[in-house]
Amino acid sequence: MSTHRHFLSNCEAAPAARPQSTSSYFSFANKWSTVVLLISGLVAIGAFIWWLNIPFIEDIFTSSAITLTMVLGFQLYMGNSGILNWSYIGYAGIGAFASAIFSMEPAVKTMQIPTMYPFLIKLHLPFSLALIAGALTAMAVAALVAWPLMRLSDSVGAITQFALLIVFNVVLSQWSQVTNGPRTFTLGGLRYTTLWVALGVASVVLAAVFYFKESPVGLKLRATRDDRHAARSSGINLVSTRYIGYITSAFIGGLAGGLFSHYILSITAASFYLHDLFVILSMLVIGGSMSVSGAFFGTLLVTLARQGLRQVELGLTRSGFEASGATEIVLAILMIVFLIWRPNGITGGEELTWNSIRRRLKSFTGRKKQSAKSQQQED
Amino acid sequence: MNKLWKTKTSVVNPESESPAPQDLILQVSDLVVSYGSIQVLHGVSLDIRRGELVSICGVNGAGKSTILKSIAGILKPRSGSVCFKNMDVTGKKPEQLHKLGISLVPEGRDIFPTLTVEENLRIGSFGRHEPKRYAEDLEDFFHLFPILKERYHQAGGLLSGGEQQMLAIARGLISHPDLLMMDEPSLGLSPNRVDQIFDLILELKSRGITILLVEQNASRALRIADRTYLFSNGRIEYAGKPDEMGSEVDITSVYLGAKEGGMAS
Repeated sequence: MSTHRHFLSNCEAAPAARPQSTSSYFSFANKWSTVVLLISGLVAIGAFIWWLNIPFIEDIFTSSAITLTMVLGFQLYMGNSGILNWSYIGYAGIGAFASAIFSMEPAVKTMQIPTMYPFLIKLHLPFSLALIAGALTAMAVAALVAWPLMRLSDSVGAITQFALLIVFNVVLSQWSQVTNGPRTFTLGGLRYTTLWVALGVASVVLAAVFYFKESPVGLKLRATRDDRHAARSSGINLVSTRYIGYITSAFIGGLAGGLFSHYILSITAASFYLHDLFVILSMLVIGGSMSVSGAFFGTLLVTLARQGLRQVELGLTRSGFEASGATEIVLAILMIVFLIWRPNGITGGEELTWNSIRRRLKSFTGRKKQSAKSQQQED
Repeated sequence: MNKLWKTKTSVVNPESESPAPQDLILQVSDLVVSYGSIQVLHGVSLDIRRGELVSICGVNGAGKSTILKSIAGILKPRSGSVCFKNMDVTGKKPEQLHKLGISLVPEGRDIFPTLTVEENLRIGSFGRHEPKRYAEDLEDFFHLFPILKERYHQAGGLLSGGEQQMLAIARGLISHPDLLMMDEPSLGLSPNRVDQIFDLILELKSRGITILLVEQNASRALRIADRTYLFSNGRIEYAGKPDEMGSEVDITSVYLGAKEGGMAS
């Protein structure tokens, strides 16, 4: 009975010899080893870069930790529900503006954005609270608009999300009394998002997104992704399950937006539009949208690739070639290539766990031994 | 009600012509269902008593799967009614019907391929289950479906066809349904897997579970069913005991579509 073909099917003989441990403790520990591995990796890289103390590299790390937070929130909804959520970047924008409005000193606000509503000028919260308040604002907006959209699946679902993004973008870029309209919104304060803040938030969000995936709601959402009719006949309420995922994702998007605005210190609505969505989408697709590890490795890989390509681009421009935009083209082609040959990304939709590393190592050493053996035979 | 499959709740006498109303678990009357403008069911009525194994047979396109989907709430009937446990449930959503105790094992081993066996089973238990009994039930399941224990942490999509079917049935069962509906459980399986599936259905029946079975393998289904409905073109041709079906209707004509004046050539 091996009618079902899969890339792992050559492992099918294995389970009999190596009975899968059903011990709940070990499987639980192995499952959560993903979070431990990814966060310790992140912290190790962060600590090393902090120790290096080169501002240029520190900046790259901080901004990619913010991006990681953003990709994780994107993964939470898109990865678990299977619906491309275009409007996600809009929630990042809402979080960015809202948290900035909450955190700025009233005096600075009157100076920077004279058109702002007086009641908004009066608001003032410390950075940490402002960050959460901004994320809650994004979540509240999502909670207000999302309910009727959650019924829609597939391309219809994606198109409505796209329309929603257009709405968000127009509102953010025209509402002078809140976002300073099309003009740049300058925060004019301290850079609150330091390396450690970005790292800390990204780590907490990583654990939270993983927890969500494994929670009952996350499990239900993944079931609706696999087969929504079967999911409904198994007692899953499609609309409310998606709704919870969507607003949680908007919260994390808002959080990432808030980190971003307190890092870059001057934002416009254009900072939260298709270009940035494309970048986080390419990260998720290349990493593998179905797993948290995919979001992590996609962010890592694409950040490294983009930095490398940017250097190449700069070098070419300096030597006389006009190569601006080459990074985006390479990224787009990479995304297409992945969608054709590895639609589940480099992680294949799996999580990085102790067991998966052990297996990888074993098969690697096994292959080495085998090749050594075959060489001996040839001799 | 929760111990339904471990104890025989009621012994049904299929001989009795007019069952007491409390024995009736499902009553479908004059159900009309259409896909867009194409009418598939033309006023179908059937009923099932507690503990019965009822089979529905008929050719492709006779409306067998359609009636299951309508009872499960996936399709909305145009007219007619569905009564479950003396409650009118016509037009209710699938998730509500699942809560009430209707479980559908869909055609084509509709499991969740990217979820592990464990997660597939957990999905089935949501909504209608006390967490305390889950572990206990799992033990029972591993006895019924030993393969699931072996593959507990593997993705559902990696299982073989027969194993996926076992998983689909297990998922349907773990919610302790009052009515288990199975749509073509033996479709596309190797002969010895088909034997396993039918053994399993008999085992479930002996545990007192009410089962509505749609099966293309009519001879096998008829051998184990208490009663049967023969569908043809969205209507019921025959309803009653399986062994009397042969004398009541011309099965060949129903199956081969030769109504009057021989086969259309």
